Amino acid sequence: MTSYQNQWLKLSPVAIVYFAVQFIKTIGNNLFYLLPAIFVGYNQFSENALIIISGLGALLVFVAISALLKFYFYQYRLSEGRVQIHSGVFQKTHIDLPFERIQNVRFEQPIFYRPTNHVCMLLDTAGSNKLEAKIIALPKNIAESLKQEILAYKTENTHEANDQEPQTNEEQLLNSRSMRDLVIHGLASNRIWIVLGALAPFFNSLSEKFVKGIESFGVDVDALMASSQYAFWQYVLFFFSIAFVVIALMALISILGSVITFYDFKLTRSDDRYIRRNGLFTRHEVVMKLSRLQMIALQQNWLDRALQRVNLKFEQLNANLERQSAGTSGGKIIVPSVTLEEAHNLATETWPNNQLSSINYNPVSKRLAIRNTLIAFWLFVPLAAVLTYFEKTELATASIAAFILSTAFIILSWKRRGYAIDDNFIYLRKGLIGVSYRCFPIHKVQQTTFSQSWFMRRFQLCSVKFVLASGGQTLPFINARIGEELIDSCLYQVEALKKSWM
Amino acid sequence: MSKDAFSNHPITPEELPQVNSQSFTPLSNTYIKVNLMCRLVFWLMVVSALLIIYWQPWITLHKLLELYLPQVQLAAGGFGLLSSVYGILADKNKGYAIREHDFSYRSGVIFQSVVSQPILRIQHVELKHGPIDRHFGLASLEIFSAGGAMHTFAIPGLPEEKAREIRSYVLTHSDIAAND
Repeated sequence: MTSYQNQWLKLSPVAIVYFAVQFIKTIGNNLFYLLPAIFVGYNQFSENALIIISGLGALLVFVAISALLKFYFYQYRLSEGRVQIHSGVFQKTHIDLPFERIQNVRFEQPIFYRPTNHVCMLLDTAGSNKLEAKIIALPKNIAESLKQEILAYKTENTHEANDQEPQTNEEQLLNSRSMRDLVIHGLASNRIWIVLGALAPFFNSLSEKFVKGIESFGVDVDALMASSQYAFWQYVLFFFSIAFVVIALMALISILGSVITFYDFKLTRSDDRYIRRNGLFTRHEVVMKLSRLQMIALQQNWLDRALQRVNLKFEQLNANLERQSAGTSGGKIIVPSVTLEEAHNLATETWPNNQLSSINYNPVSKRLAIRNTLIAFWLFVPLAAVLTYFEKTELATASIAAFILSTAFIILSWKRRGYAIDDNFIYLRKGLIGVSYRCFPIHKVQQTTFSQSWFMRRFQLCSVKFVLASGGQTLPFINARIGEELIDSCLYQVEALKKSWM
Repeated sequence: MSKDAFSNHPITPEELPQVNSQSFTPLSNTYIKVNLMCRLVFWLMVVSALLIIYWQPWITLHKLLELYLPQVQLAAGGFGLLSSVYGILADKNKGYAIREHDFSYRSGVIFQSVVSQPILRIQHVELKHGPIDRHFGLASLEIFSAGGAMHTFAIPGLPEEKAREIRSYVLTHSDIAAND
């Protein structure tokens, strides 16, 4: 046992920087909404530069004082298998967290902690995210030993009789990502399109700005466009080269994002724990107990398919939905852009007798495609008829085209649907152009749902849903008898084996 | 490990206990009546609010609104009646079944579904009764698993006595005790 037990402790002074940065971040987040106003009022601001600067100075002083105060009032204690944290200047918060309630221990290392080798320790609990405790600054070695202590606590409690062999600290490297992999991940991940989508409302004003900018260099764009001295193909070429530059830029941003999040990615295993470490500026560390793993998912979008890569996800509890952002999420461990072989090696390493790579998937009923096509039909075709009646031929054609396109997608997505079951696992496949495979142990199911619409009853079909601690998985339009068998054997395995799900 | 008599008979898929061949207990008649009453009262209030708008002398209504208000009233009344009738059908279709190791709840008229919840996976149980439920001695039983709030298993409209019985059945169940 460690010597710092049973007394109230202060954080290392580095924490002051942390509090200050945190404070500036919240201010920054709020300022974000004021940005347009600031831009509009830019001229007035530049006239009152002195006031602004002194205001900023006052703000900085305020930040410094509040950080100091927060540091002063923050204290923590470790005693009798529990963590206690007192924090807050005006609004006090007291957290009292028994070790056995701690689900997960995570480390975060912001860039300013690196010189002094401190980390921020996050203690996750199941259920509510309000009870998340955070010890802001701990020296790395103390944090490391504390983590061992917390994680060992439970096993100690349950296996007190048989003297456990001391925790092996050896970590076995399962997977690491090279720079090349991260670049591929950046290219293939859809974030480019999300950024483009988010920018869409501004395209108009952006292009206006762009034209004005060019005009300020003395180029008359209108005349350029109107003049006949350039051939049509030159304009096309011009357009394409601009589009290319934009896409290349976006790809670059996406690659940068991927490198920043996943830099020096390492997935290691120590006993029954998986540990993920990654991040360029802020180092993240996530620990997952193998028994908490609910589902393995392999995901490929169309670019991943072209590049022969796959994103592998280990999903555990769903408690922290809100915190699920790209690479920093607490719940999931994502291994970005691994090759198919690596993915299958990882899956077999985790659950040795799973057949994710080799099992044959059964198709779902073609009535799924028929039903969805009928829905699309009733959405688009009457619309087209009405449009033709009012002689809006172009729109009518567009509507018909939309119908044909959606039918193609519906058939594609029906083809991708599939399911398989073996003695221990259920496998599901779905997708559109990309494809995703999921695999979960039958005994980890929390709840099942069997559902049928009136039509499905007529054709003896059903939909089945398995609820796991990581979320629900639906399998639509399978034979009703098979669906019943799936549910019956699933409930039987849960209730007869009585295996723990976590 | 518990030292129960160990048995390990082979089981073929045909011998597995079947969820869909259970007999489901329908919900209590009081629940169906109370539900019907609530729906009728709600739609009555909607229609009478529309009537008040139509008859009130203080504000002059927009012409278009004045022209179509009677139709809207008629539509609201008709829809209210239809949905109440559908509600009776839906409530009659709801039912629950309890087995040694799991609960099932059936519902739906056009889209029928059976949700099954193994007792082993129950995290906690809640009895809920609002003011109306309390007046009629009803309660709904909510069962939470680790699947999250989205997948709460709930049986509404149980007589309070029954709901308490089921709750204590869950709490004293050996599966739950074994889980701790």
